[in-house]
Amino acid sequence: MSDQTGKQLSKEEKDARFEAELLPVLDPLYNFAYRLTLDEDDANDLVQETYLKAYRFFDYFEQGTNAKAWLFRILKNSFINEFRKKSKQPAKVDYSEVEGYYNTDDVEGEGGVATTTDMRTESVQDLIGDEVASALNALPVDFRTVIILCDLEGFTYEEMAKILDIPIGTVRSRLHRARNSLKEKLEKYAKSMGYNS
Amino acid sequence: MEAKFTEAYPKAPDAAREAECGRVSDMLDLMIDGEASSEEQRFFNDHIEECVNCFENHQKQKLLKGLVSGHLKRVIVPQSLVRSIKARIQETL
Repeated sequence: MSDQTGKQLSKEEKDARFEAELLPVLDPLYNFAYRLTLDEDDANDLVQETYLKAYRFFDYFEQGTNAKAWLFRILKNSFINEFRKKSKQPAKVDYSEVEGYYNTDDVEGEGGVATTTDMRTESVQDLIGDEVASALNALPVDFRTVIILCDLEGFTYEEMAKILDIPIGTVRSRLHRARNSLKEKLEKYAKSMGYNS
Repeated sequence: MEAKFTEAYPKAPDAAREAECGRVSDMLDLMIDGEASSEEQRFFNDHIEECVNCFENHQKQKLLKGLVSGHLKRVIVPQSLVRSIKARIQETL
Protein backbone atom coordinates (compact mmCIF):
# COMPACT_ATOMS: atom_id res chain seq x y z
CA MET A 1 0.00 0.00 0.00
CA SER A 2 2.20 2.85 1.17
CA ASP A 3 5.95 3.12 0.97
CA GLN A 4 6.05 2.27 4.64
CA THR A 5 4.73 -1.25 4.17
CA GLY A 6 7.24 -3.93 4.88
CA LYS A 7 9.81 -1.48 6.10
CA GLN A 8 10.61 -2.30 9.69
CA LEU A 9 11.44 0.81 11.69
CA SER A 10 14.25 0.71 14.19
CA LYS A 11 13.25 1.56 17.75
CA GLU A 12 14.95 4.94 17.45
CA GLU A 13 13.10 5.73 14.23
CA LYS A 14 9.82 4.63 15.70
CA ASP A 15 10.31 6.70 18.85
CA ALA A 16 11.32 9.75 16.85
CA ARG A 17 8.30 9.49 14.55
CA PHE A 18 5.99 8.83 17.48
CA GLU A 19 7.20 11.96 19.21
CA ALA A 20 7.12 14.11 16.11
CA GLU A 21 3.71 13.05 14.85
CA LEU A 22 1.66 12.05 17.85
CA LEU A 23 2.88 14.05 20.84
CA PRO A 24 1.88 17.42 19.31
CA VAL A 25 -1.74 16.25 19.64
CA LEU A 26 -1.38 16.00 23.42
CA ASP A 27 -3.08 19.30 24.20
CA PRO A 28 -6.32 18.76 22.24
CA LEU A 29 -6.35 15.11 23.28
CA TYR A 30 -6.10 15.96 26.97
CA ASN A 31 -8.81 18.57 26.60
CA PHE A 32 -11.06 16.05 24.90
CA ALA A 33 -10.40 13.51 27.66
CA TYR A 34 -11.17 16.10 30.29
CA ARG A 35 -14.44 17.09 28.62
CA LEU A 36 -15.46 13.43 28.45
CA THR A 37 -14.51 12.44 31.99
CA LEU A 38 -14.87 15.82 33.72
CA ASP A 39 -12.01 14.82 35.98
CA GLU A 40 -8.31 15.68 35.68
CA ASP A 41 -6.98 12.39 37.03
CA ASP A 42 -9.28 10.37 34.82
CA ALA A 43 -8.29 12.49 31.83
CA ASN A 44 -4.65 11.83 32.68
CA ASP A 45 -5.20 8.06 32.76
CA LEU A 46 -7.23 8.07 29.59
CA VAL A 47 -4.60 10.03 27.66
CA GLN A 48 -1.79 7.76 28.88
CA GLU A 49 -3.80 4.71 27.88
CA THR A 50 -4.41 6.23 24.46
CA TYR A 51 -0.73 6.90 23.81
CA LEU A 52 0.24 3.43 24.98
CA LYS A 53 -2.18 1.90 22.50
CA ALA A 54 -1.05 4.25 19.76
CA TYR A 55 2.55 3.20 20.37
CA ARG A 56 1.63 -0.47 20.32
CA PHE A 57 -0.22 -0.06 17.02
CA PHE A 58 2.06 2.58 15.55
CA ASP A 59 3.09 0.28 12.69
CA TYR A 60 -0.47 0.49 11.40
CA PHE A 61 -0.41 4.25 11.35
CA GLU A 62 0.45 5.61 7.93
CA GLN A 63 2.80 8.55 8.06
CA GLY A 64 1.27 11.82 6.98
CA THR A 65 -2.32 10.71 7.56
CA ASN A 66 -4.56 12.35 10.12
CA ALA A 67 -2.79 11.67 13.43
CA LYS A 68 -5.19 13.81 15.40
CA ALA A 69 -8.30 11.97 14.18
CA TRP A 70 -6.57 8.62 14.75
CA LEU A 71 -5.69 9.45 18.37
CA PHE A 72 -9.13 10.88 19.07
CA ARG A 73 -10.65 7.66 17.78
CA ILE A 74 -8.45 5.52 20.02
CA LEU A 75 -9.27 7.71 23.00
CA LYS A 76 -12.99 7.61 22.33
CA ASN A 77 -12.89 3.80 22.08
CA SER A 78 -10.87 3.53 25.29
CA PHE A 79 -13.36 5.74 27.03
CA ILE A 80 -16.31 3.61 25.93
CA ASN A 81 -14.72 0.18 26.34
CA GLU A 82 -12.67 0.51 29.45
CA PHE A 83 -13.16 3.71 31.25
CA ARG A 84 -16.93 3.69 31.45
CA LYS A 85 -16.86 0.09 32.66
CA LYS A 86 -14.65 1.08 35.58
CA SER A 87 -16.79 4.01 36.47
CA LYS A 88 -19.97 3.25 38.40
CA GLN A 89 -21.85 6.10 36.80
CA PRO A 90 -21.57 5.67 33.04
CA ALA A 91 -22.31 9.19 31.87
CA LYS A 92 -20.75 11.11 34.66
CA VAL A 93 -22.25 14.51 35.29
CA ASP A 94 -21.09 16.87 37.95
CA TYR A 95 -24.40 17.52 39.63
CA SER A 96 -23.12 20.40 41.68
CA GLU A 97 -22.41 22.24 38.44
CA VAL A 98 -25.84 21.42 37.08
CA GLU A 99 -27.41 22.57 40.31
CA GLY A 100 -25.45 25.77 40.25
CA TYR A 101 -26.59 26.35 36.73
CA TYR A 102 -30.27 26.00 37.50
CA ASN A 103 -29.95 28.22 40.53
CA THR A 104 -28.74 31.22 38.57
CA ASP A 105 -32.29 32.63 38.77
CA ASP A 106 -31.89 33.03 42.51
CA VAL A 107 -28.58 34.79 42.17
CA GLU A 108 -30.02 37.28 39.77
CA GLY A 109 -32.65 38.23 42.34
CA GLU A 110 -29.86 39.78 44.41
CA GLY A 111 -29.36 42.36 41.69
CA GLY A 112 -26.09 43.94 40.71
CA VAL A 113 -24.60 41.41 38.35
CA ALA A 114 -26.78 41.98 35.32
CA THR A 115 -26.87 45.73 35.59
CA THR A 116 -23.23 46.50 36.18
CA THR A 117 -21.53 44.04 33.84
CA ASP A 118 -19.32 45.32 31.07
CA MET A 119 -19.05 42.68 28.37
CA ARG A 120 -15.44 43.60 27.62
CA THR A 121 -13.98 42.88 31.01
CA GLU A 122 -11.99 39.75 31.51
CA SER A 123 -14.13 38.61 34.42
CA VAL A 124 -17.24 38.69 32.25
CA GLN A 125 -15.46 36.70 29.58
CA ASP A 126 -14.54 34.18 32.27
CA LEU A 127 -18.12 34.13 33.48
CA ILE A 128 -19.38 33.36 29.99
CA GLY A 129 -16.77 30.63 29.64
CA ASP A 130 -17.87 29.11 32.94
CA GLU A 131 -21.51 29.14 31.92
CA VAL A 132 -20.75 27.55 28.56
CA ALA A 133 -18.75 24.87 30.37
CA SER A 134 -21.55 24.21 32.87
CA ALA A 135 -24.15 23.97 30.14
CA LEU A 136 -21.93 21.69 28.07
CA ASN A 137 -21.02 19.47 31.01
CA ALA A 138 -24.70 18.99 31.79
CA LEU A 139 -25.31 17.47 28.36
CA PRO A 140 -25.27 13.68 27.83
CA VAL A 141 -21.78 12.55 26.91
CA ASP A 142 -22.69 11.75 23.27
CA PHE A 143 -23.97 15.28 22.75
CA ARG A 144 -20.99 16.78 24.52
CA THR A 145 -18.66 14.77 22.33
CA VAL A 146 -19.97 15.99 18.96
CA ILE A 147 -19.94 19.62 20.08
CA ILE A 148 -16.36 19.36 21.31
CA LEU A 149 -15.18 17.60 18.17
CA CYS A 150 -16.90 20.05 15.87
CA ASP A 151 -16.77 23.42 17.58
CA LEU A 152 -13.67 23.18 19.73
CA GLU A 153 -11.45 20.92 17.64
CA GLY A 154 -12.77 21.79 14.20
CA PHE A 155 -13.14 18.25 12.85
CA THR A 156 -15.16 17.84 9.66
CA TYR A 157 -18.31 15.72 9.64
CA GLU A 158 -16.41 13.04 7.77
CA GLU A 159 -13.63 12.95 10.36
CA MET A 160 -16.21 12.86 13.15
CA ALA A 161 -17.95 9.93 11.49
CA LYS A 162 -14.65 8.04 11.48
CA ILE A 163 -13.76 8.94 15.04
CA LEU A 164 -17.18 7.97 16.35
CA ASP A 165 -17.85 5.01 14.03
CA ILE A 166 -21.20 6.35 12.94
CA PRO A 167 -22.59 7.43 9.53
CA ILE A 168 -22.31 11.10 8.54
CA GLY A 169 -26.12 11.39 8.70
CA THR A 170 -25.99 10.39 12.36
CA VAL A 171 -23.23 12.93 13.00
CA ARG A 172 -25.47 15.63 11.57
CA SER A 173 -28.59 14.68 13.49
CA ARG A 174 -26.69 14.20 16.74
CA LEU A 175 -24.98 17.56 16.36
CA HIS A 176 -28.32 19.17 15.64
CA ARG A 177 -29.93 17.72 18.76
CA ALA A 178 -26.87 18.51 20.85
CA ARG A 179 -26.90 22.14 19.79
CA ASN A 180 -30.62 22.48 20.49
CA SER A 181 -30.05 21.12 23.94
CA LEU A 182 -27.09 23.42 24.58
CA LYS A 183 -29.06 26.38 23.25
CA GLU A 184 -31.92 25.65 25.62
CA LYS A 185 -29.58 25.60 28.60
CA LEU A 186 -27.77 28.77 27.59
CA GLU A 187 -30.99 30.63 26.84
CA LYS A 188 -32.09 30.07 30.42
CA TYR A 189 -28.82 31.60 31.52
CA ALA A 190 -29.12 34.51 29.08
CA LYS A 191 -32.58 35.28 30.43
CA SER A 192 -31.29 35.18 33.99
CA MET A 193 -28.70 37.78 32.94
CA GLY A 194 -31.38 40.02 31.53
CA TYR A 195 -30.99 39.17 27.85
CA ASN A 196 -33.93 38.14 25.79
CA SER A 197 -33.17 35.47 23.26
CA MET B 1 -38.75 46.31 16.18
CA GLU B 2 -38.46 42.88 14.67
CA ALA B 3 -42.17 42.78 13.81
CA LYS B 4 -42.07 46.05 11.89
CA PHE B 5 -39.05 44.93 9.94
CA THR B 6 -40.73 41.68 8.92
CA GLU B 7 -43.89 43.47 7.81
CA ALA B 8 -41.90 45.66 5.48
CA TYR B 9 -41.33 42.68 3.20
CA PRO B 10 -43.94 41.64 0.67
CA LYS B 11 -45.54 38.35 1.52
CA ALA B 12 -44.30 35.42 -0.53
CA PRO B 13 -46.70 32.57 -1.27
CA ASP B 14 -46.97 30.95 2.15
CA ALA B 15 -46.44 27.30 1.29
CA ALA B 16 -43.43 27.94 -0.95
CA ARG B 17 -41.87 30.27 1.56
CA GLU B 18 -42.42 27.84 4.39
CA ALA B 19 -40.81 25.03 2.44
CA GLU B 20 -37.78 27.25 1.73
CA CYS B 21 -37.54 28.25 5.38
CA GLY B 22 -37.68 24.60 6.36
CA ARG B 23 -34.85 23.74 3.99
CA VAL B 24 -32.79 26.67 5.22
CA SER B 25 -33.40 25.69 8.82
CA ASP B 26 -32.15 22.17 8.08
CA MET B 27 -29.02 23.66 6.53
CA LEU B 28 -28.04 25.90 9.46
CA ASP B 29 -25.50 23.48 10.88
CA LEU B 30 -24.02 22.70 7.46
CA MET B 31 -23.53 26.41 6.88
CA ILE B 32 -21.93 27.32 10.19
CA ASP B 33 -19.70 24.24 10.04
CA GLY B 34 -18.56 25.00 6.50
CA GLU B 35 -20.00 21.73 5.20
CA ALA B 36 -22.48 23.11 2.67
CA SER B 37 -21.80 22.70 -1.06
CA SER B 38 -21.45 25.85 -3.16
CA GLU B 39 -24.95 25.32 -4.56
CA GLU B 40 -26.38 24.96 -1.06
CA GLN B 41 -24.51 28.08 0.05
CA ARG B 42 -25.95 30.09 -2.82
CA PHE B 43 -29.49 28.94 -2.04
CA PHE B 44 -29.02 29.67 1.64
CA ASN B 45 -27.52 33.13 1.18
CA ASP B 46 -30.17 34.14 -1.35
CA HIS B 47 -32.88 33.11 1.08
CA ILE B 48 -31.55 34.83 4.20
CA GLU B 49 -31.15 38.07 2.26
CA GLU B 50 -34.91 38.15 2.02
CA CYS B 51 -36.06 36.36 5.13
CA VAL B 52 -35.48 38.09 8.43
CA ASN B 53 -36.41 35.09 10.55
CA CYS B 54 -33.96 32.78 8.83
CA PHE B 55 -31.31 35.50 8.87
CA GLU B 56 -31.71 35.80 12.63
CA ASN B 57 -31.68 32.05 13.15
CA HIS B 58 -28.41 31.92 11.25
CA GLN B 59 -26.94 34.64 13.45
CA LYS B 60 -28.01 32.78 16.59
CA GLN B 61 -26.55 29.52 15.38
CA LYS B 62 -23.23 31.22 14.60
CA LEU B 63 -23.28 32.82 18.03
CA LEU B 64 -23.84 29.45 19.68
CA LYS B 65 -20.88 27.92 17.87
CA GLY B 66 -18.80 30.97 18.75
CA LEU B 67 -19.64 30.59 22.42
CA VAL B 68 -18.09 27.14 22.46
CA SER B 69 -15.14 27.85 20.17
CA GLY B 70 -14.37 31.25 21.62
CA HIS B 71 -15.27 31.05 25.29
CA LEU B 72 -14.80 27.51 26.51
CA LYS B 73 -11.58 27.54 28.46
CA ARG B 74 -8.99 24.98 27.55
CA VAL B 75 -7.57 22.98 30.41
CA ILE B 76 -3.81 23.05 30.89
CA VAL B 77 -2.01 19.79 30.30
CA PRO B 78 -0.13 18.75 33.46
CA GLN B 79 3.60 19.08 32.89
CA SER B 80 4.22 15.57 34.16
CA LEU B 81 2.00 13.95 31.55
CA VAL B 82 4.54 13.74 28.73
CA ARG B 83 7.07 12.24 31.11
CA SER B 84 4.55 9.68 32.34
CA ILE B 85 3.62 8.70 28.81
CA LYS B 86 7.26 8.22 27.78
CA ALA B 87 8.03 6.28 30.96
CA ARG B 88 5.09 3.95 30.52
CA ILE B 89 6.01 3.31 26.90
CA GLN B 90 9.53 2.33 27.90
CA GLU B 91 8.13 0.01 30.59
CA THR B 92 6.04 -1.91 28.08
CA LEU B 93 8.95 -2.75 25.81
